[in-house]
Amino acid sequence: MMNLRLIATKGILFAGALLLASTALSNQLYAKSLTVGLTSDAVNLDPQAGEELSSNILFYHIYDPLVRRNADLTFGPGLAESWKLTDDTTWLFSLRKGVKFHNGEELKASDVVFTLDRLKKSLMANLGANIASFKAIDDHTVEIKTPRPYAVLPNDLAAVLILNAKYVKEAGDEQADLKPIGTGPYKLVEWVKEDHITLEANKDYYAGPAKLDTVVFRPITNGATRTAALLTGEVDVIQDLNVRDVERVKSDDRYKVLMRPSLLNVVLSIDQRDKSPTIDLDKNPMTDRRVREAMVRAIDVSAINKVIMNGLSTPSEQYVPASHTGYLDGASFRDMYPFDPGKAAALMAEAGYADGFTVTLDATNNRYVNDQQIVQALASMLGKIKINLKLNLMPKSNFFSYIRVPSDKSSLIMSGWDVPSGDGGSMYSVMFYSRGKKEGYGQVNRGSYSNAQVDALIDKADATSKLVERDEFLQQATKILMTDIPMIPLHYEQDLYAAKTNVEITPRADKFLWAYEIDVKE
Amino acid sequence: MLGYTIKRLLQMVLVLFVVSIIVFLMMSFTGDPVFMVIPIDSTQAEIEQARRLLGLDQSLFSQYWIFLSNLLQGDFGRSYVFRQPAMDLILERLPATMEMVLVAMAFATLIAIPLGVYAGANPNRTASRGIMAASLFGISLPGFWVGMMLIYFFSVRHPFLPSSGRGETIEILGLRLSIFTADGWSHILLPAVTLALATLAIILRITRAGMMEVMRQDYIRFARAKGASRTHILFAHGLKNALIPVVTIFGLQLGDLIAFATITETIFAWPGTGKLLIDSIYRGDRPVIVVYLMLTAFIFVVINFLVDIVYTVIDPRITVK
Repeated sequence: MMNLRLIATKGILFAGALLLASTALSNQLYAKSLTVGLTSDAVNLDPQAGEELSSNILFYHIYDPLVRRNADLTFGPGLAESWKLTDDTTWLFSLRKGVKFHNGEELKASDVVFTLDRLKKSLMANLGANIASFKAIDDHTVEIKTPRPYAVLPNDLAAVLILNAKYVKEAGDEQADLKPIGTGPYKLVEWVKEDHITLEANKDYYAGPAKLDTVVFRPITNGATRTAALLTGEVDVIQDLNVRDVERVKSDDRYKVLMRPSLLNVVLSIDQRDKSPTIDLDKNPMTDRRVREAMVRAIDVSAINKVIMNGLSTPSEQYVPASHTGYLDGASFRDMYPFDPGKAAALMAEAGYADGFTVTLDATNNRYVNDQQIVQALASMLGKIKINLKLNLMPKSNFFSYIRVPSDKSSLIMSGWDVPSGDGGSMYSVMFYSRGKKEGYGQVNRGSYSNAQVDALIDKADATSKLVERDEFLQQATKILMTDIPMIPLHYEQDLYAAKTNVEITPRADKFLWAYEIDVKE
Repeated sequence: MLGYTIKRLLQMVLVLFVVSIIVFLMMSFTGDPVFMVIPIDSTQAEIEQARRLLGLDQSLFSQYWIFLSNLLQGDFGRSYVFRQPAMDLILERLPATMEMVLVAMAFATLIAIPLGVYAGANPNRTASRGIMAASLFGISLPGFWVGMMLIYFFSVRHPFLPSSGRGETIEILGLRLSIFTADGWSHILLPAVTLALATLAIILRITRAGMMEVMRQDYIRFARAKGASRTHILFAHGLKNALIPVVTIFGLQLGDLIAFATITETIFAWPGTGKLLIDSIYRGDRPVIVVYLMLTAFIFVVINFLVDIVYTVIDPRITVK
């Protein structure tokens, strides 16, 4: 009897389990999910603890900024519904009402104040460099003051992600990093380091729930494995498709390859000091503008594009791309100084360096796409005008402290620079402003370039709160810079993605893949 | 035995101490970790703030002193990049690596020893020559190539097995393990085989060499004359006496695989410790590197100690002093 009852109970349990399983299954059939193969695991999920691409990608799923940076680098409302200037340096941001954090707390001005306050004391203090003070006016209005008129404050704020004051204080820094709480379109379900990060759609998201219910990010460092994982169906989208796999993936109509020029401009900084560290001459030849022009003309950017980059680079026209403030319409290094070794040699002779000189180029060997091959090509190209280029290659962990301003070991440096904020001014003020004149200006001016006119234009750009005026001043600066040639822009790398054909995805300019903009067709 | 253990423990402390000094000195040559963490256009004030937050504003000597005194209180330091205890980062990833290595070592040993015994006992047979030739491939083929080929044939061309990751895990005593799920096994096979190949070949060749040496000895001839069975001669008289060098190599390989399975882990996106080491080196994350290498030294010392004990079991003439 006992046994029979037991069996009966078991039977009911079993039927129940079956029912549960089948409902779970049908839910799964309706729920859309996406698995993304990233190049590496996120390091932090606390947006004030670090900044590298994988972490950044995750930040924008979990948190929201006050100002939203769109895929095409335009800016629009985020957690702030609207903003206005009350005087040249004072901004009022009105927060959206009824926005909830993942823990149910409502977004208040005090959260924004807490976020900015914590940011200022964090490793990422740089993100708030143009914020002088801030306070809550009421529960849904925040006042932010800039140290001087600063027209692109909203662009800067697109990189500041809003934390929940109560949660971070209660959980502490370490837990806030491991179990993040934000207002973003996705909530963290599980983070198994180096294996996967699972997110689930935030049903209460202020702009409406995401189309994909579950998103899984898997770190797959090896490029070939990433391709394999796509081809076996283990992942739906991969970031940074290997160049050599492009044809393979394209040839299969179950997959598509997506690309767009990145914002990362690979540039050569030229030392402008009278005596240069690695040039064994009393006077630094590169202080002569003709020598710099000769260098630009000696470098065949399209050959680098074809031979080294397999066509997957976009030769740079200027220091910033066309989408940015400071971009001067119609001006291009490639038209002003087309590849012309004959003219280059003539310029060298005119400057009195017909016999050339020897100089060292510092570069990375693991930071930019094909960086080592690029500098080898540069050595042979500049060799044609008798500039004997010695290469000093190192891994990125050594490089950035080696070349650091005052750069007293470097004459020529190849590095990359990207401006995701869309504002050329942020690059100009740190890279082209005279060194040591003003705090926060010229700190990455590696070639010690100094032009009072450029400084004055940057000052003017930073003294207006009108974006149009700022753009105009910066364009004037661009004009002078393109004549002065403090740096030679080479190319933008290409961002490559591959996806299953049913995944609707458009690559973003800032590389921050965002599942909220992605859909999967049945 | 007790005296021996104590002596070994003292040696270990010395080794760990020296390792920590070497790593500290080495890391002072690899660039300033601050610039790996903060944006490159940070102002001087922001850099100073970051240095203070990371404890890098002190001299190298006092940094080492702080590290040592914290170590004695059981605090191994915090990663600059992850901002979490360095030991936790490693321990969190260790089960994945241990699993893969143990499965690989089991594969290697179970296949290598019987084949080695066979090839050593019958050196002139064609099959033995074949085994030896194949073992050369195992030694000379680079792991990253083997790994990619396995993925190509078994995941892409014939989709039997997943290409990467660890699959489903279950938690046992707080450890996340995958070898108790079928999905976990399907994920572990390819990386474990890749990792096993080189070790398999080495153990096989050493076993064979030992067997060839032993089979010429008088006691083998005597055992034969006595009429002992062939299996008994091969395994009880032969293998047991050929085993000392095999155990030595086994120990070294085991330590090596646990600490430096980096390449295999990278290829198969296996969430283990080797990848953490290489990433930390790139990022100049000294606290993680120091603890990692100290842990590695510790593992090697322990394995060598166990190997010494195993010697005395295999060969009663050996005693530990």
